Amino acid sequence: MEIGPILRALSRNKLGVILISLQIAFTMTVMVNAVFIINERSKLMARPSGLDEPNTFYLSSTGFGDQFNSQVTERDDLELLRNTPGVIDATPTNAIPISGSGSSDGLRIENDPTLPATPAAVYFTDEHSVNTMNLTLIAGENFSASDMTYQSSNERRYYRKAIVTLALAEKLFPEEGLAAVGKSFYRDQAPVQIVGIVERLQAPWPNSFFVEQAMLVPLNFTDATSTYLIRTEPGQRDRLMVEIEETLAGNNPDRIIRGLKSLQETREESYRLDSSMATILLVVIVTLVFITSMGIVGLAVFGINRRRKQIGTRRALGATQLQILRYFMLENFFVSGVGVSIGAVLTIAFSIALSSLFEMPTMDWYYTPIGMLLLIAIGQIAVLGPSARAAQIQPAIATRSI
Amino acid sequence: MFLYYLRLSALSYRRNPILSSLMVMAVAIGVGAYMVIFTLNFVMGGDPIPQKSDQLFHVQLDSGNPNTQDDPPKQLTYLDATALIQANSAYRETATSKISGILEPEGDGIRPFSIVGRGAFADFFPMFNTPFLYGDGWDQSADRDLQQVAVLTKELNERLFGGADSTGETVRLHGNNFQIVGVLDDWAPVPKFYDINNGAFDGSEEIFIPWNLIIPLDFPRNGNTNCWKTPEAGPDGFLNSECVWIQYWVELRSGDDEAEYLQFLNNYAAQQKEFGRFPREMNNALFNVEEWLMKEEVLPNETKILSALAAMLLAVCLLNTIGLLLSKFLGKSGEIGVRQALGAHKGSLFLQHVIEAGFIGLLGGILGLAIAAAGLEGVKVLLGDNLMITDWIHLNPTVVAITLVLAVLATIFAGFYPIWRACSINPAIHLKTQ
Amino acid sequence: MLEMKNVRKVFRTDMVETCALDEFSLTVDQGEFVTITGPSGCGKTTFLNIAGLLETHTSGQYLLDGVDVSQLRDYARAKLRNQKIGFIFQSFNLMPDLNLFDNIDVPLRYRGMKSAERKERVDKALDSVGLFARKKHVPAQLSGGQQQRVAIARALVGEPLFLLADEPTGNLDSNTAKGVMALLEEINDSGTTIIMVTHDQSLAEQSKRNIHILDGRISNNTEQTQQKAAAAA
Repeated sequence: MEIGPILRALSRNKLGVILISLQIAFTMTVMVNAVFIINERSKLMARPSGLDEPNTFYLSSTGFGDQFNSQVTERDDLELLRNTPGVIDATPTNAIPISGSGSSDGLRIENDPTLPATPAAVYFTDEHSVNTMNLTLIAGENFSASDMTYQSSNERRYYRKAIVTLALAEKLFPEEGLAAVGKSFYRDQAPVQIVGIVERLQAPWPNSFFVEQAMLVPLNFTDATSTYLIRTEPGQRDRLMVEIEETLAGNNPDRIIRGLKSLQETREESYRLDSSMATILLVVIVTLVFITSMGIVGLAVFGINRRRKQIGTRRALGATQLQILRYFMLENFFVSGVGVSIGAVLTIAFSIALSSLFEMPTMDWYYTPIGMLLLIAIGQIAVLGPSARAAQIQPAIATRSI
Repeated sequence: MFLYYLRLSALSYRRNPILSSLMVMAVAIGVGAYMVIFTLNFVMGGDPIPQKSDQLFHVQLDSGNPNTQDDPPKQLTYLDATALIQANSAYRETATSKISGILEPEGDGIRPFSIVGRGAFADFFPMFNTPFLYGDGWDQSADRDLQQVAVLTKELNERLFGGADSTGETVRLHGNNFQIVGVLDDWAPVPKFYDINNGAFDGSEEIFIPWNLIIPLDFPRNGNTNCWKTPEAGPDGFLNSECVWIQYWVELRSGDDEAEYLQFLNNYAAQQKEFGRFPREMNNALFNVEEWLMKEEVLPNETKILSALAAMLLAVCLLNTIGLLLSKFLGKSGEIGVRQALGAHKGSLFLQHVIEAGFIGLLGGILGLAIAAAGLEGVKVLLGDNLMITDWIHLNPTVVAITLVLAVLATIFAGFYPIWRACSINPAIHLKTQ
Repeated sequence: MLEMKNVRKVFRTDMVETCALDEFSLTVDQGEFVTITGPSGCGKTTFLNIAGLLETHTSGQYLLDGVDVSQLRDYARAKLRNQKIGFIFQSFNLMPDLNLFDNIDVPLRYRGMKSAERKERVDKALDSVGLFARKKHVPAQLSGGQQQRVAIARALVGEPLFLLADEPTGNLDSNTAKGVMALLEEINDSGTTIIMVTHDQSLAEQSKRNIHILDGRISNNTEQTQQKAAAAA
């Protein structure tokens, strides 16, 4: 084999080796870490909220003036909404999942404020919430209309019943599982009974560490602003968004309707930074691979042109086209090998730096070797064209003077 | 000679158009991508009020939960904010909170709409150097006497009064009439340092009213409210609670004032401890604007990560450029030899090729500007229009200048070794035909 | 004018020292037309490179116009090349992407001459080789003989002390070569010293003086004064 001569020839062109291998190393560092970040973000974005997102939207009504009666308005609105054809159900709520804005409470299983509390998102809503949000009640039962209480949002809040997510139940009562139904926890030094457990419902803050810990509470605020979450039959959402906004805005001069939005839009907005980051990183990766490939092609062409006569001589001495091709492919393989070895060190160092500086999870072990193989493959593909051209060089060139 | 070398550079470009264009592209992509990230950092990490950022201080009083170990709350309780205002111990000071309300325009032209506003004290405007289009902020007497006065932003004034001077007119907000005393000119500090806990990159509120009116007129609070202890029942429960929802800023004129004011805060906290409040150890804090932005890490991690990645991308592009310049300049050995024979000394050859590298860098920089502009448009599309910074993401003159200088210098830097190699070849070798 | 005393050139890069200059001594006076001959690659080119200040010699003394150039640095050597020496190469070595005017302009640029004077001189030089009308053309648009005329114009434009010609007719057919030689003789007649390396024995015989180099030493130094001297008289 010609490994010896290739390595000796390379050792006489150290700068070329350094230039290409450093490019490959940096490209690999950026690519592998970027792919890891993209995957992490995609995992975050793929978590379900628990709701029937494609068929759900919401809007707010804010009253003004002395004539406005919020409780009557809310009751009439909900009745109208629930009786609108195409609407599956509607519920009042203080917060919208994934939206980034809501309330939370600290829960304890004993009535002692010095103990650490378990945080949970609270949705102040009514007995239609389970159906509207399309939640799966896996234990216990739903609220009834008689459970509802009404208060001003500035008052000290009282509630005695809650439907919690399975994640929250397991956090509060780790050993009990679904048997947590019927048990009570304390908030604000008063007991609250778990009447039901739903499989999944996310908190309004996608980046929160307790995003799966949420609960529904049968309490409604008497403030001038009401927010309604509305679930429609499939395909009806866009039509109903327009119609319902018009109807509600028209039937009461003392209020305005605002904040009409579908849950899909809300998801896009909340995860915008994550999805932007993923897109930007993808562009960076493509650009880098392109630039590095061009660099490999450029230097390979330069090297081959410089050695045209030598290649012709080799052909004249009996080298087959395949052997010429193999020579340049092997040469690139060795240079890439140096590059991905430096790249592996840089990749791991960069990933450690990222995870320690920005509280990001550490990269799985297999990213680095896959990245190494991928970059070697990219190098081989990039050098294929120039090598094939080199193999086409005529042996006769050896006898010509120029 | 400079122009002559520039012309030679252009001719040399034409001789190897593909190689030269590859170089220009490599420089353009590297610099362009770097400048996209640089612009984001430049806009998001800039000093929002450079004239006074070391005189404006964010006040933190540690009224927090004794069962946790975290930093003092970022906002103040109603009790503490009103007490500090009454003590009046700073050169200028303001308590300020975000509110919302329904604005009912006069006549039937515009339907009522919901609006985000801010309660503030008279000092707010001179403290933060807010520019006025018409009128001015209100007097301190308006704060004391609960006068229903308001300052509008330029946009709201456009919307309500078509941009005319509206001072003296009234607006109906949250069921009450307010007399307009001033209209702001464009004002949107980035980051929005005076209220970063409600979104460091949010836009300005649209209307400003005396903070003292928030409670008596029962305005809905629109910002972040944090309670470590549930308020007592009753109408005054919330006001007397440990809920924090008020930002507090003071303007101090010297380092001595800063120490003095911190002492004042500590004295106040000590006094409150005697009433059974402030259960934690004394930990009050004063941060000036820059310190506060730094401490709160307003720059998202994403832009920091992207900065590092963009720097590596630039490095790859420059390594690429070194390789390509090496090919190009070594290919010019013949010309270099002839020029030496014709009397060019090494210095002038070096200069010629530095200018040639700079020329390629300049072309790369110009193309890089286009790439940066396109990249920033792309970022805007990705971020959507709900972030106010999108208005600020564009190529300002500083960024344009930095891009061009960076491209030229980086390419010349990348060219040093290739130029040195090409110029140190014995000219005689290349003069003889082989 | 050009005086070499015991000049030696040793190549260290190669193990063998076959073709260097060895104790090479030569004096060339103002107005001479000297041809240098010798077997392929045996010190001719090395002599030319040293005489043209393209290479340094290892030992010995080289006086150019009375100045000892042995110790000069690159900057001073470049200045001397620019002002006192004109080069003519076998393969012309014109800049492919400069037009004729700009090609001839190059040495004057390095001399830092004012634009008006450069233009006057270049135009005159172009005119003297009969290519004024084509001054906007690039070298590739010319025949070999025309290209060599441009190269000669470029060598002359700075009014050098002497011309160094390295096989100036080597790439030309015999008719064209004759024309180029006639031009060189004309130049020599008007007072410019010419030192020409060639392996064409007939050209060597035409010149006033022929130096034959063998293994880095002068083996034969003949004055051929007959025809030219007669012509001059």
